[in-house]
This record gives sequence, structure tokens and C-alpha cells, in this order.
Amino acid sequence: MTMQISKLTIEELAALMKKGAGITVDPAEMGGRPEARFDEYGLDSLGLLGIVGELENRYGRALPQDADRCKTPREFLDLVNNSLMAGA
Amino acid sequence: MSPRQDRQPVVTGIGVVAPNGVGTDAFWKSTREGISVLDHITRDGCDHMPVRVAGEVRGFDPESLVEERYLVQTDRFTHFAMAAADMALADARITSGDYSESPFAVGVVTAAGSGGGEFGQRELQRLWGQGSRYVGPYQSIAWFYAASTGQISIRGGFKGPCGVVASDEAGGLDALAHAARAIGRGTDAVVIGAAEAPLAPYSLVCQLGYRELSTNEDPERAYRPFTSGASGFVPAEGGAMLVVEEESAARRRGATVRALVAGHAATFTGASRWEESREGLAQAIRGALAEARCAPEEIDVVFADALGIPDADRAEALALADALGTHGRRVPVTAPKTGTGRAYCGAPVLDTAAAVLALEDGVVPPTPNVFDVCHELDVVTGRPRPAELRTALVLSRGLMGSNAALVLRHGADTR
Repeated sequence: MTMQISKLTIEELAALMKKGAGITVDPAEMGGRPEARFDEYGLDSLGLLGIVGELENRYGRALPQDADRCKTPREFLDLVNNSLMAGA
Repeated sequence: MSPRQDRQPVVTGIGVVAPNGVGTDAFWKSTREGISVLDHITRDGCDHMPVRVAGEVRGFDPESLVEERYLVQTDRFTHFAMAAADMALADARITSGDYSESPFAVGVVTAAGSGGGEFGQRELQRLWGQGSRYVGPYQSIAWFYAASTGQISIRGGFKGPCGVVASDEAGGLDALAHAARAIGRGTDAVVIGAAEAPLAPYSLVCQLGYRELSTNEDPERAYRPFTSGASGFVPAEGGAMLVVEEESAARRRGATVRALVAGHAATFTGASRWEESREGLAQAIRGALAEARCAPEEIDVVFADALGIPDADRAEALALADALGTHGRRVPVTAPKTGTGRAYCGAPVLDTAAAVLALEDGVVPPTPNVFDVCHELDVVTGRPRPAELRTALVLSRGLMGSNAALVLRHGADTR
């Protein structure tokens, strides 16, 4: 496996929610309704901030400033992946 | 708006997470029998410390009592408080229907002495080990004194007056007074109490400067207040949460009135100035009796602060004589915390829980590990003592100089 940065998947996001905030989400369910808001899953703003920090450490670069203000998984995945592609 | 005198606060539910029992039944069984659970500290990272003995909560399974998100987002002291609050609400038979139409009628008050030290230590280790980018955002709320009040309020949907009392160890009793005032001003129910988790290495190091901390290595001898062998106090973790309700609101929903919160007063006499705590404690007792309209002779049992420092023990014995007169030498005095250690703000709430249970059972629990009392006090030792109990006095002092007294009346007593 190479060190190239791959896109953040819904499965990885679900794993980050579990690790960082103790929120258990079925990735299939989240993938099926990506417009549902994070707070419907019980993820608060601190939880999302923690996920942003974890990803920034993982990628070794900053994510856009408003990354932790995303309201839905779709919004967040789009923003993160566009940023990764733009920086790749 | 001043509190209304006709709104009587009563205890309707008790929840306990203590070194000698998780759950009120287990706690009371060991307390009543005087079983000591003091033991050597087993927590990782504590084995090189001069404090060897503590009261650890070993029978607590957080995964089975607290949802995963709170396990990740909050500290052990909040896990204890949440679990104890659940037990207290269940004990009070408050169901989601009772106050769901009036969430503003239920408040939450906790007392806290040290906040979330274990969570804080982990994040500080990340800060200095890996860098600030590795500190998790939940650190901002998890180690805060107010965390338990906030999380209990959010989790239960309780939107009434909420508060955190940070007034030293005696704050556990002051929180009850805070809850009683909220009830006097119109709140129907308050989830109130304190739980602490001060045995992580970082937290323990913070306590090493207290000269009152016992460094005796023998669990049976480390904490012996009121004796010539008194060598300080043993720290502990855990605590208790209570449901305190306005009496008519409690009766309306058919709740059992366990005890009346009759009177409280607090004073301050300065850090470690134990000789002066005599006057402060006596004044707190007089104030609590006055608020309870209680004569000294009506006190049937005293739950003592029992710090275990000769000066402090003498001051407490003299304070009882000053405030209760000759009755102070006759009234049964107990300190069940010699079997569990002092859980800081949690300690006087555990004593309050034990006092309510003692009133109900008609028995004074003994003072474990204490024999040959060297003060003019009738300290109950060895075995439980049956007695008709109508009124209990609970005392607490903090290392920083706070003194508080609380008077509880039997639940069957109406004014």
C-alpha cells in the first residue's frame, strides 16, 4: 500500500465517530441518508471538531476552517474530499 | 424572591456508588455491618506514592451503567454521578412521565472538589507527549467541575435550576442547602449530590501536599479518628446522588418521603486551622438546628466529620459539646467513612445517604477500625447499635476551611 491520500469514506467517518465521540452509527444507514444531520446521530460540535483534528493529524495538513461546522455527513465528506483532491 | 417556608424539601430517592457498594442496598448492608474496604491502592501509576491506602470503587462496571458516548466524552467522576443519579431517580420511582410535561420543575446540583483528573491526565499526557493537536476537544468539558451537573441535566432533560457548588469537601452538604433553596423558590425536584474520582496518579499527586493525608500503610490503622492512633485520613472515590423534592409534589405522585431536609448552615474558618474549626463547626450546628427548629436534645445520632487529625478530632468533639451541651457527650456519634475513606465532596453526601437509611432502619452503623476513643464522645464502634432515630445531624469539614452541618428528620415526621 502506498502513502497516497485516499478519499475519506462513509465507513471511515463512522469509525471516527465511534472512536472520538462514542457514537455508534451503521455506515450503511448513514450512507443511505447522507443528508441527515450529525446531531440526529448524537454527534455534537465538539465531536466533529475532534474528528477534524484526527484527520488533520492523519493527513498532516489543515482542513478548511469551516470543516467543523458541517451539518451533515454529505457536506463533511464533500468538503474534506474536495480539499484533499485540491491539495493532492 | 425569598424562599417560601411552606415548601418543605424531602428526600425521595438515593443512589450510591461507593467503595463499599454500588447500589444503595449493597452500600447500606456493608455500612450497617461496619465492614471496612480500605485497601492498598491498585491503580496503575500510583505504586511509588507515599499514600498507600485508599477507598477504591472496584465493583463499578461503567459499560453496563453509562452509555458509550458518555464513557468517551466524560470522566470517571461523571460516570459515577450519572450512574448514581439513575439509581436515585429509579429509587424515587420517578419515571419519564412524572416531570416530562414540566422539565423546568426539575433541577440538578452537584458539589465537586477536583473535577475530571483522570481524563485530564490522559489529555495532558497527549499535550506534552505528542503536541497540542492531539488533545481531544472533550477535554474542555470533561475535567470541568460542572461536568456532572451538565451531563445529568442534558441526559435527563432536566431544565430547572442547575448549579455546581465548589465550596470544599463540606460542599456536599452545601449542595443540599442549594437544592433546598431552589425548592423554596418553586422548583419541584432537584437531583443533588456529589461523586469524585481522585485516585488517578495526577489527582493523587495533587493531594500529596495535604499534611492531613494518612501515609500509614496498614489499611486497618491508616484512618482511626478519635483515637490516640489518629494519623490522618484516607482518600476515596465515589459518592451519592439524591432526589430531593418538595413534599406536596412528592406526595402528589405517591412517592415515599424518606427524610426531611430540615436545616443547614455553613461557616468558614481557614485552611487546616483545625483548632478554629471548633467554633466554626459549633456555629454551623447551631445554625442548622435553628433552621430546623430543633432542640439539641432532639438529635438522636451524629454522623461526624472525623478527619483523623488529633487537633481536628478534638475540635469536633468540643464543637459538639459547645453546640449540644451535655447532650453532645451522650448522643451516639458514628463515622462510617472510616471503612471507606473520604471521597471529598462525595463523603458528606454518602453520610447523608447513610443517615437517611439509619433513620429508616432504626440503627446506628458503627465506625470501622476505631476502638478506644480518647474524646468525650459516645462513638459507636464494633457493631451496629439499634436505636429509635427521629433526627440526625451530619457534619462535614473541608481541608480548605469550610464547615457545614445538616439536620435530617425521619420521613414520617411532619411539621
